[in-house]
Amino acid sequence: MGGQRAQVIDEPRGQAAPPGAPVPAGPPPELVFKRRLRPLQVARELWAARELVRALAERDLRARYKQAVLGFAWAVLTPLALCAIFTLVFHRAVKIETGAVPYTLFAYLGLIVWQFFSNTMNQGALSLANNLSLLNKVYCPREVFPLATMLVATVDMVIGVGVLGLMFLVFWTAPAATFLWVVPLLGIQFAFTYGIALILSVAVVYLRDVRHLLPIITQMGVFATPVAYPLAKIPQRLQEVYVGVNPLGAVIEGYRKALLYGEAPDARMTLIAAASSLVFLVGGYLVFKKLETGIADVA
Amino acid sequence: MSRDYPLGTIRTEQVWKRFRADQQRMLLRDRVDQMARRLRGDRGEDWRWALRDINLHIEPGESVGLIGSNGSGKSTLLKMLTRVMYPYAGVIDVRGRIGALIEIRAGIHPDLTGRENIYLFGALLGLKRREVAGRFDDIVEFARLGGAIDRQVKFYSSGMQMRLGFAVAAYLEPHVLLVDEVLAVGDAVFQQRCLDRMREVAEQGTTIVFVSHDLPAVQSICRRGVWLEQGTVRVDAGITDALAGYRDSIEAQSEASARVGEPLQLLKYEVRGEDAEDTTLHTDEPVTVELTLGGDYRGDATLHLGVSEGTSSPIFQISHEIRMTGGDHRVACVIPRLPLPRGRYTLWTGVYSIGKTDGGTLMSWHSAGQFDVFGPMLDTPPRAVVMAAPVFVPHQWED
Repeated sequence: MGGQRAQVIDEPRGQAAPPGAPVPAGPPPELVFKRRLRPLQVARELWAARELVRALAERDLRARYKQAVLGFAWAVLTPLALCAIFTLVFHRAVKIETGAVPYTLFAYLGLIVWQFFSNTMNQGALSLANNLSLLNKVYCPREVFPLATMLVATVDMVIGVGVLGLMFLVFWTAPAATFLWVVPLLGIQFAFTYGIALILSVAVVYLRDVRHLLPIITQMGVFATPVAYPLAKIPQRLQEVYVGVNPLGAVIEGYRKALLYGEAPDARMTLIAAASSLVFLVGGYLVFKKLETGIADVA
Repeated sequence: MSRDYPLGTIRTEQVWKRFRADQQRMLLRDRVDQMARRLRGDRGEDWRWALRDINLHIEPGESVGLIGSNGSGKSTLLKMLTRVMYPYAGVIDVRGRIGALIEIRAGIHPDLTGRENIYLFGALLGLKRREVAGRFDDIVEFARLGGAIDRQVKFYSSGMQMRLGFAVAAYLEPHVLLVDEVLAVGDAVFQQRCLDRMREVAEQGTTIVFVSHDLPAVQSICRRGVWLEQGTVRVDAGITDALAGYRDSIEAQSEASARVGEPLQLLKYEVRGEDAEDTTLHTDEPVTVELTLGGDYRGDATLHLGVSEGTSSPIFQISHEIRMTGGDHRVACVIPRLPLPRGRYTLWTGVYSIGKTDGGTLMSWHSAGQFDVFGPMLDTPPRAVVMAAPVFVPHQWED
C-alpha cells in the first residue's frame, strides 16, 4: 500500500446537464412520431420473418395437440360432426335442394371454408393478446401472429380437403373439370380472412369486449353464410350487397360450382367478392399498423 | 435518410415518451363521459412524461450501464431500444440484431420444450434454423439444462427458465445485447457466469446496455454509465463517475430522513486522521472516529459502528459498551491502520440495549455521513460474491 496519495477525490462527478440548458417542456412538434408505411419495406420485413411465421405456426400446432389424445384427428372431426348435423337438419328436415350433388358433399365443402375462416378469426383475434408476454420483449413485425394462426388453419384445411377427396370416392363422383377456378377463389378467401383477423387481433388488445363478441360472430356466421344452403336462397336483389359484405358467400358458391357442378363461378359475384376482400385486407392492414404502435403501452 | 452507422450502433435523438396518468377504465360510461368532455373542448387527458429529451449515441462494442431509481425510465428506454415500444417523439436507431433479456422467460412458451423454445427464439431474432443449430450445444451447456432440454418449459424451475432465457439471448450472437434486471433470479454462481459471459460478449464487440440496481455488477461490466433521473439523462459519463454521482444522490436522500423521537441522538461525529488539525484520511494510517451522543437515557448500552462503501456494501462493523448518564456522552474509537483503499465511504451508527439488537433500540442503525479516504486505488478485482462486512479491523476504544 502507500504510493499516490492526497489526490482530490471530491471532484465533480460526471457532467450533470449544463444548468443553462433545462429540458424543454415538450418535444418539438416536428419530431412527434408518426407511423409511416413504406410498402416495399413492409414487404421485405414480412418476407424476412417467414421463418418466424413457420416457427409460430409450428408452435401453435404442437401446443394445441400436445395434450390431446386424438391430436390432428380433431381437424377433421369438427367439420365432420357439423356436416352430420347439417345433413340431418337441412337435408332431411328443411329439404335443401342440391340437384344431382349429394347434400353431404355440398355442405362439407362449405364447412371447410367456414372452419378455416372461423378458426383463423377466433385464434387470430387472440393471437396478439395471447402473445403479449412475447410482444413486450422481442420485436418482430406484429402481423406475423395473425398470419401464423392462418397458417395453422390452413394446415387444418388441407387435412379437411384430404377427407373431401375420400368423400368423392365414397359418393363415387369425380371433382369437376373446372377445378382450376379454385385458385383465384382461394386468394379471395385468404385475403378476406386475414383482413378480418388483423382488425380483430388488434381490437382485442384495446377492447376486451371484442373477445366476447367472437362466439356470437361464429354462431351467427355459420348460418348467415351459405354453408348449409346455396347462395340462391338469398333474395336475388340483395345478393350483390350480401357478397360485398361477406365475400365468403361468393367463395363457397364458387367452389361448389367449380368442383361439384362443373360450371365457372359467377363472374360478377366473384369480382365483387374480390374487390370487397381486397378492401378488407388493405383496410385491416392499415388499421393494424396504425394501432400496433400503442400495443406495448396499453398491455 | 441519415448516414449509415455500423452494426451495433445505438442512437437516440430527442426521444420523448409519455403514458396516460389518468385512470384508463374501459367501461362504456367512461367513454361516453370522455366524449362529452371532448365535445365541450376539454381533452380530459392527463399525460405523464416517462422520458424527456433522451439523446444517446452508443458506438458498437461499447458497454453502457443504465442506472437510476425506480420509475426513472430505464425499462421504458430499454423497451424502446428493442423496438417493442414506440416513442412519442424523436428518432431511435438501433443497427443490427438485438438480443434482449427484458424479463425472465423472455420469449419462452410454457407448452413447448426447451429445444423448441430455442428455435422459436432464434426465429424471433431473425436467425435461420441452421444458424441456431450451430449454437445449440453452447446454449444447452451454458444453461446447464442437460436432459431437461426436451421437457416442456412449464415444468422448469424459475432458475432454469431464466438460465435458458439468458443463454439464448447471449449465445445467438446479437449485435446489441440488452439486459434488464433479470439476474436476480439466478443463484450466485449463475449470476457470476452471466456476468462473465456478458464481459466475453462485450470483448467480441457486441454493444451492451445493462440495467441493474446491482451497482457493483454494473461497474464490473460497463465502461460507460448513463444515470437517468425522472426521465432525463442526469449524467452520461464514465461508469465510475456516473455511479459515484448516483450513490451520492441516494445517500443524500437517505440522510435527509432524520431520526426523531428516539431515546438517543447522534449530536456530532468526526472522522479524523492522526493529526487533529488534518481531517484527511489515508489508507493504512491511524484514524479516529469520535461520536457525541445525547439523550435522556441512563444506563448501559451497546454502541455499534459500521463502515460501508456506498450505502449497500458493508465493509466492517465493530461495537462497544457505553454507559449513558443522561447527559451528552463523547466516545472515540481509534483504528490504528485503516484498511480501506481510496474511495468514499459511509459511516453507520446505532445504539441498542445490552444484549439486544431487536426491540431495545435506543438509536436505530442509520448512516451518519460520509468520509473520503485518500490512498492507492485497488486494482479492479474480479467480481466475487459479496459477504456481509468481510474485513476485520484491529481497533481499541477510549472513553
